[in-house]
Amino acid sequence: MKFSENGLYIERYIKCATCGILIYENCDQKALTVENVTYCSRWCVDWKNARDARRSVSSQKEGRLRRS
Amino acid sequence: MDPVSVNILESTMVSICREMGIVLMKTAYSTIFSEANDFTCGLANMDGDLIAVADYCPSQIGGLPLLVKSCLREIPVSEIEPGDIILHNDPYRGGLHTPEHTFFKPIFVQHELMGFAVAIGHVQEVGGMVPGGFCGEATEIFHEGIRVPPVKIKKRGKDNVEVWKLLLANVRTPRTNFGDLSALIAAVDLGEFRTVQTIEKYGKASFAETVKDLLDYSERRMRAELRAIPDGIYRFKDDIESDGVDEGRTYVIEVEAHKLGDEIIIDYYGSSAQAKGPINATLGVATSAAYNAVLHMTDPSIPRNSGCFRPIRVLAPPGTIVNVDYPGPEVGGNTETHPRIVGTILGAMADAVPNRTMAAEGGTHSNFVFGGVDADTGDYFICYDIAGVGWGGRSFADGNDGVDSINGNCRPTPIEVFETRFPWRVEFLAFDIDSGGPGKFRGGVGYTKQMVCLNDEVTCSQMTDRHRFAPWGLNGGKPGGLGATLILKSGSETWQNVREAFGKKSTSRYSNIIMKKCDRIRLVSPGGGGFGDPKDRDRSLVLNDVVQGYVSPAAAEREYGFKDK
Repeated sequence: MKFSENGLYIERYIKCATCGILIYENCDQKALTVENVTYCSRWCVDWKNARDARRSVSSQKEGRLRRS
Repeated sequence: MDPVSVNILESTMVSICREMGIVLMKTAYSTIFSEANDFTCGLANMDGDLIAVADYCPSQIGGLPLLVKSCLREIPVSEIEPGDIILHNDPYRGGLHTPEHTFFKPIFVQHELMGFAVAIGHVQEVGGMVPGGFCGEATEIFHEGIRVPPVKIKKRGKDNVEVWKLLLANVRTPRTNFGDLSALIAAVDLGEFRTVQTIEKYGKASFAETVKDLLDYSERRMRAELRAIPDGIYRFKDDIESDGVDEGRTYVIEVEAHKLGDEIIIDYYGSSAQAKGPINATLGVATSAAYNAVLHMTDPSIPRNSGCFRPIRVLAPPGTIVNVDYPGPEVGGNTETHPRIVGTILGAMADAVPNRTMAAEGGTHSNFVFGGVDADTGDYFICYDIAGVGWGGRSFADGNDGVDSINGNCRPTPIEVFETRFPWRVEFLAFDIDSGGPGKFRGGVGYTKQMVCLNDEVTCSQMTDRHRFAPWGLNGGKPGGLGATLILKSGSETWQNVREAFGKKSTSRYSNIIMKKCDRIRLVSPGGGGFGDPKDRDRSLVLNDVVQGYVSPAAAEREYGFKDK
């Protein structure tokens, strides 16, 4: 979360793109940005990549099945 | 620490949490606390981990650690003093939904912080568009009442008057709210007092060591349970029928459960983008629902604390129906979407552990809320009324009949109390015949409550579900009965749904219809889905269902092939 300079309100809610947990600006040391997307940890980046790969293979299989 | 000491301390702390709940129930003003028990009381360590909880409302149990941890990000431990009480209800900061107010109080022993006493309760009036909080047509958080970031409502034992004034100026029933909020404070006061007594009895070092061992023990027990479930990726989808705004559009909850070794990852990727209307769940709800589902599939004797949550990882993509982004509305997420998420996880795991899951339950709390000015007293009244539903059939038993949905564990308000407190007369409340989904093990039946309005005007809203999509059956079981809300206006002879009677978009989620004196409303709750082929049902059970009025003779013949000679 990005607080205003005076700390009285929130300017932006920042969440991990994979697990959805709030990321507190300047506090969450493990947070990282990959291709302009913010994640809370390396684990969440790896999970996202593995999921994309899994779904890609799965959709290719489904495509072949449909064609046959 | 030896197992006996761990067990004694765990039982002591759970007893403290139960006593906190009893104080809350006995001292609150509104029926949602005093009758329905829509609250949870627990203890947390200084990191915000749950260390003990009483069996009140499951939707709040799994959400408790995230709630406390989120608050501690903004009010760090270094700024917390003895006698402080922190209040919070912000759905975007770990909260469950706007009505759910969390209070927690630090437990200091000889100037050292040892943990927190926590009470979470559903405060029935929070301001916003409708009396009673459940605005079925809300499109942004500001329609849903006052949002409270983590603030100290008490500082060093003294009321923070400015916070109280701000809170009570924004609700319709300040006197009742003051009573309910004070009851929540009384609960955490008692929790602190009793826990200090306990720590002084055992010693600080021994207490801390035993709590650590307790959490590790729960983790070991949960890991052993998960290890026994076959590894694999299990998937399931379920549809939600409406968001109250884009009527006719459906929303998907998608679950991919990865069970590997002694851990499970619940990934909601693929679920619908967040809705315009108030059916969105918060991250706290999505997390709590995952814990709830796993607890349903595992040994109930595992102590409920953050230790048993460690092997469960939850992935809830932001901006979806399972993790709403600001400023999306969310009040129905905690009541309606939570049970649907649990059902979707149980549906996914049905292949892996068929004997520990069940068919779909009603999946709604009815959430009929109303308010107005009492014609006799001139006082503003508000009520949040909960109804039971039928639960899904299981591999070994029928579903429960007419009890609160899987995340509530709440009690419907007794008719006598309801009629004494509010200007309605209940004309009947009865189980609905044939509403339990047919199966080898029948779904539980829902029920109908019909009542007549006694006040000049009552403003009513509702956030319910299952008016179009019936609870699904499992393993050949058939769907349960649908819910409904029907209106009979005074002088009319035709029952109508709220779309017909008031021009609302949705029949199940609507806001601010005006019921007048002698108008009638009929609230029908859904039944549960059946489990297994109905033809395999024991004949004596079918006969008993017919005799008891759960199943009609016609349905017994049609669904079960049963003819009573």
